[in-house]
Amino acid sequence: MAALPRRIIKETQRLMQEPVPGISAVPDDSNARYFHVIVTGPEDSPFEGGLFKLELFLPEDYPMSAPKVRFITKIYHPNIDRLGRICLDILKDKWSPALQIRTVLLSIQALLSAPNPDDPLANDVAELWKVNESEAIRNAKEWTRRYAMDN
Amino acid sequence: MGICWCKQKNEESDTYIPPQSPNSLQVHNIIQPVSPVSTQYSFRLSKIPDASYVDKLVLETLGVIATLVDNEQEPPSSMLLLHNIADNEEGWIQVVNSMIHVIPMQDPLGPSVITLLLDDCPLPSKESVFKVVNMLDLSEKAAILGRSNPPIQRNICVVLGCIAEKLAGPRNMEILNDGIIDYLLTNLDPVTDPSVILFSLIALEKFAQTSSNKITIMKKIKNLPICPISLLESWKEEQHFVQRQVGFCAQWILDNLFVMEARQYTYQTINTEKINAMLNTSDVSEYLKISPDGLEARCDAYSFESVRCTAQADKGIWYYEVCIITPGVMQIGWATKNSNFLNHEGYGIGDDRYSLAYDGCRKLIWYNAKSDPQSLPRWQSGDILGCLLDLDNQQIIFSVNGVSLPPCIHVFTMAKSGFFAAASFMSFQQCRFNFGAEPFEHPPKVAYSTFNDHGSLTPEDKIVLPRHIFLNQLREQNIGEDSCTLCYDQKATIRLLPCEHSGFCESCANQLIECPMCRSPFREIEEYPPPS
Repeated sequence: MAALPRRIIKETQRLMQEPVPGISAVPDDSNARYFHVIVTGPEDSPFEGGLFKLELFLPEDYPMSAPKVRFITKIYHPNIDRLGRICLDILKDKWSPALQIRTVLLSIQALLSAPNPDDPLANDVAELWKVNESEAIRNAKEWTRRYAMDN
Repeated sequence: MGICWCKQKNEESDTYIPPQSPNSLQVHNIIQPVSPVSTQYSFRLSKIPDASYVDKLVLETLGVIATLVDNEQEPPSSMLLLHNIADNEEGWIQVVNSMIHVIPMQDPLGPSVITLLLDDCPLPSKESVFKVVNMLDLSEKAAILGRSNPPIQRNICVVLGCIAEKLAGPRNMEILNDGIIDYLLTNLDPVTDPSVILFSLIALEKFAQTSSNKITIMKKIKNLPICPISLLESWKEEQHFVQRQVGFCAQWILDNLFVMEARQYTYQTINTEKINAMLNTSDVSEYLKISPDGLEARCDAYSFESVRCTAQADKGIWYYEVCIITPGVMQIGWATKNSNFLNHEGYGIGDDRYSLAYDGCRKLIWYNAKSDPQSLPRWQSGDILGCLLDLDNQQIIFSVNGVSLPPCIHVFTMAKSGFFAAASFMSFQQCRFNFGAEPFEHPPKVAYSTFNDHGSLTPEDKIVLPRHIFLNQLREQNIGEDSCTLCYDQKATIRLLPCEHSGFCESCANQLIECPMCRSPFREIEEYPPPS
């Protein structure tokens, strides 16, 4: 096991002591840089009631570079593609080392409340979101029911 | 360099997901059904590919994999075709089925190829995985009947391990049924082929990464008259190299995963009195397994895991030996602290300017991720790799069973001192280091020093703690509130001007381009006394 930077230890301790409502992030038993994440779908969004599993990995030069995060649960969202990759500025050029695992996950949860079809990653989803929002929301609810709920 | 295609082209993106396969149109042109069929059916046929055609692609991939030495290189066409076939349900199942049936036991890269192929294939749906599990129809009986055909059972276990790893989390629980557990536990009977035992242990380990699975498996084990894993632990001293791997994995699992109440941890019972230099448990990538005496290492992850030793060489001539336990891809040699372990990108020892290594499977000397072919035969289990570092004459000389390779000099343009013994491991590879605590098999003819003679370790330093205990200790560390808010390693003493945001240490501040708090560019940094 590589010596773990204290920054990661500190963040892990805080996540355990003061968990974020609606988000669970648990470090892997054998890899302290890998977190198993569950985000609950925000109220009043098409993802309400869903439990979305994500994986989060802290790269070697964290916090100077951003965590790597992706959805493992399938989700119908204009900024998340079919491989679970997320289009979010703070994970790319807007990353700052003052951001944390906690703030990243809150931003992802906020992205579920406020999809942004003008900055799409999943083009077909974004297109439908723009031309027929109600149908897109119906699809998102259906996918949430099918993939993100028990049975 | 490890074999890894996932970094190419996607370097800029924020995730580590394999690249998209080439567009399907192109592939339809390439896939030709083997049997003569009229073209109007070719679409359907390419969806449900011919088994013998897939078999052929799997074997082709296995054949070329050792020749791939460059991460920038295109994957072989057989591999791309397999990825495309695996893009739909029937195709994925056929690829899995072919791998199980055609990968031969003796090829040292066989299990690695299964994991590489599955790792780079599109994620299977839950249904596809269930279909494969149902198709295999595993049970105690299947394990007993399977003893007549070890290669297939070995491959099934490798596939199960991949499935467990890929589908970690809740879905992993649904897949691990009683039949699979019974099958894997029955395979642990010492009458089974040792390779099947080995990969059954690894599959159990990977399933147990989900904690509820771990509990289920533990319950099953406790209901057995004797714990089959405990029986296998004594094999770590065996002369047979596969049995020895079984012993290593059994001990590791008992120390790290299936912790039995009556058993003491190995680190509490082992005698390390004579050992003054080890593999450094604080200087190793996340998934490498290190034996309780600190001298043997093994990788069962899909990344390219690396480690350095505890002692350092600065001048004179130094020598250590490595016993090759598995004949696959390992890069073993010398590195300074500047060499980085980029395990997920497939970079290790010999892949940067601060390290140099020999890989006797592919017969290559590695420096700065470039390889230089050597004329020795491929290494075998039991071979002894000698690693000689001559800092007086600035050369490194590798030898296999006493036969020397030509001296290497490249690394000395970057560093003239501060060298450590170091190695990188591909999946399922293992070797044992001798830093001089035991007599060497092929000592050099010149006068030399050993790390064991010159190194020193406190009794605490010698403890290779089980991972879960180590991580718990780390997590309980107390970290002061006056620390730098970015690294927490040093005290916060730096303020940025003109925005006046503070709470950073000097080394973090030096890495910043803009203020992490307000994103405004800063002109200068100002030191202030740490709060007392």
